[in-house]
Amino acid sequence: MALLELKNVSKIYGELKALDNVNIKVEKGEWVAIMGPSGSGKSTMMNIIGCMDKPSLGEVLLDGVDISKEPQKRLTDIRRDKIGLIFQQFHMVTYLTAVENIMVSQYYHSMPDEEEALQALERVGLRERARHLPSQLSGGEQQRVCVARALINHPELILADEPTGNLDETNENIVLDLFSQLHNEGTTLIVVTHDPEVAEAAQRTIVLEHGRVAREVINENFGKNR
Amino acid sequence: MITASLLRRRSRMLIALLSIGIGATILSGLVTIAYDVPRQMGAQFRSYGANMILLPAGDTVLTEGTLEKALEVIPEENIAGASPYRYVRLDMPSRQQSFTAAGTDFSQVVKTSPYFSVEGDYPSNPREILIGKEIADTIGAKIGSSIQLSYKGSASDDGNGAADWTAGAHLMGSAEGFNEAVLTVELTLDEDARIASIDVDASSQTEEIGALVGTDREYLDQFIGQTLPVSADALSGATISSQAVVNAVNSARSGENAQALELTGIYNVTGILSTGGEEEAYIFMSLTDLSKLTGEEAPDGSGSVLDVAELSVFADVNELEAYSEDIKRENPEINPRLVKRVAHSEASVLGKLQALVILVTVVVLLLTMICVSTTMMAVVSERRREIGLRKALGASDRSIRTEFLGEGLFLGGLGGLMGVALGFGFAQFVSVHVFGSAIRFQPLLLPVTVVVSMLIAAVSCQLPIKRAVAIDPAIVLKGE
Repeated sequence: MALLELKNVSKIYGELKALDNVNIKVEKGEWVAIMGPSGSGKSTMMNIIGCMDKPSLGEVLLDGVDISKEPQKRLTDIRRDKIGLIFQQFHMVTYLTAVENIMVSQYYHSMPDEEEALQALERVGLRERARHLPSQLSGGEQQRVCVARALINHPELILADEPTGNLDETNENIVLDLFSQLHNEGTTLIVVTHDPEVAEAAQRTIVLEHGRVAREVINENFGKNR
Repeated sequence: MITASLLRRRSRMLIALLSIGIGATILSGLVTIAYDVPRQMGAQFRSYGANMILLPAGDTVLTEGTLEKALEVIPEENIAGASPYRYVRLDMPSRQQSFTAAGTDFSQVVKTSPYFSVEGDYPSNPREILIGKEIADTIGAKIGSSIQLSYKGSASDDGNGAADWTAGAHLMGSAEGFNEAVLTVELTLDEDARIASIDVDASSQTEEIGALVGTDREYLDQFIGQTLPVSADALSGATISSQAVVNAVNSARSGENAQALELTGIYNVTGILSTGGEEEAYIFMSLTDLSKLTGEEAPDGSGSVLDVAELSVFADVNELEAYSEDIKRENPEINPRLVKRVAHSEASVLGKLQALVILVTVVVLLLTMICVSTTMMAVVSERRREIGLRKALGASDRSIRTEFLGEGLFLGGLGGLMGVALGFGFAQFVSVHVFGSAIRFQPLLLPVTVVVSMLIAAVSCQLPIKRAVAIDPAIVLKGE
């Protein structure tokens, strides 16, 4: 069974169809990139998959549950339990240290565990920066903290929105390497991007145009560079 | 983690804390004052004089003893003062004028009539008097002057102690002579109640002039064989001293009565009283001195007879009325009356003052609420992204609500504690500078202020919390 399946999903704002009858399937453990120009419906799709929005029409099956029919409160629970989010602007709590930012995620999920949070930081190579505030971290470091935060609760799916959009090439590679590791461990990754290089790191790229799936590309070079 | 987060966001939180703190300060300060104002103002109002007077009911007699019994009804700490008054007419032989004299207790007068303005001192020793300014002006008396006063009371209806002019009586008298110095006479009467012998002690008079009235036999012999009223030709050059001898003889009483009653006496003026009122036409002396002069004594031995007692009581109108009822019930011979003018104006001023304090408190609390609400609103909009992020990370609406409310309550509690301390200081400052007296700390105010502050913080947080809960993570977290 696919981890995620969108069946005839449409999102309609008045006259505008942000998503128009989209059908997508993502298998467990898959690494998928979603590409497309601005206004192609990437963000809308990302919000729907991330349980932050509901489609106007169609079904969204996440781990067998149709999240398009769930009430808002359930959606929060599902997001917390199954999804790890990574954003283009990192979004850290500015007055909390790196390790505390990770613990916030633990707090809402179950219970803060500093040791575990420190291990997650170690995994992204930032253990020694644990007590730094976001303002004392570089962009790349912040995004790595966010990756650690996204994986702390062992989500089924990591959903990343332009994760390298604000990073230089070096940091972009570090983040992509982290994704690669997660993929090798069996984590399902969906990365929304308009950067072809980032898209190429994935197994499969879904290209959106005008709210429809324009095409799907299987990356034949997958795994060769990393 | 929560305290750390509050610490790192200290500037914003400081503003919220400060607004709650100031609100709580004003709250606890004003409540303290409002609570204390009646006491404070009560003490202030007591300076306007008595608010209750006790009069004898019907034909009964008010005495020191009955006054004391009546006062037992009122708790001692509520009695600011109780002045007994006995009014009699006294003559001033040297000027052939009579004045109203009030016998009283000066230690109480100071308390019941704080507005009395005395030049010099209140009498503190026997035979000292306080005279009204009007009298002082009339007779030209000054502080330190001696004044002779005599009483023509019921003891001798002819006014001259004629009752004592009996066969073989031994009489004594005194009068003011030259320079207000007093001379005394001693008389012995024959079997026809006429003067048989006369001795004059005029050593206080001018040597070789006035003093001669005590030694010049020819002058003194004029009195032999006379009866009331006596007259005599003045010794040349000593007219005043001579008149004094005549006065002394005419006011002479038997030794027994003279000692017990002192129907006449010489008094030292220790002070001159200005009030702008009728008191300026009175002579004030101690009840003891007055009783000696008049010989008045309550029939049952319960001290001096009184005309009226003025009471200054710490109490509002209702309490005063209750006291009045109690006094009347337990002492039917006393007729208590409230000085309505004083009692009612006190009540109305106090009522207005408390209403004002309550109004100000409510306004301040409203302002605090607005201020806290605005600050929290700013906090929410400043933290929009963070709130969105927290929601994206799985925070439920409930946990967002709890977090903000918790923060609000924490600030409310802390601000409340701050307010209790500062408020007490504030109230103390106001009290000392406005009322001139310190206030007591009301322990109950601590929990009340803290709870009210927390309540205000909680109410103020409602709108900001609503905003926070309404934040859509999809919108605030959107890239670029």
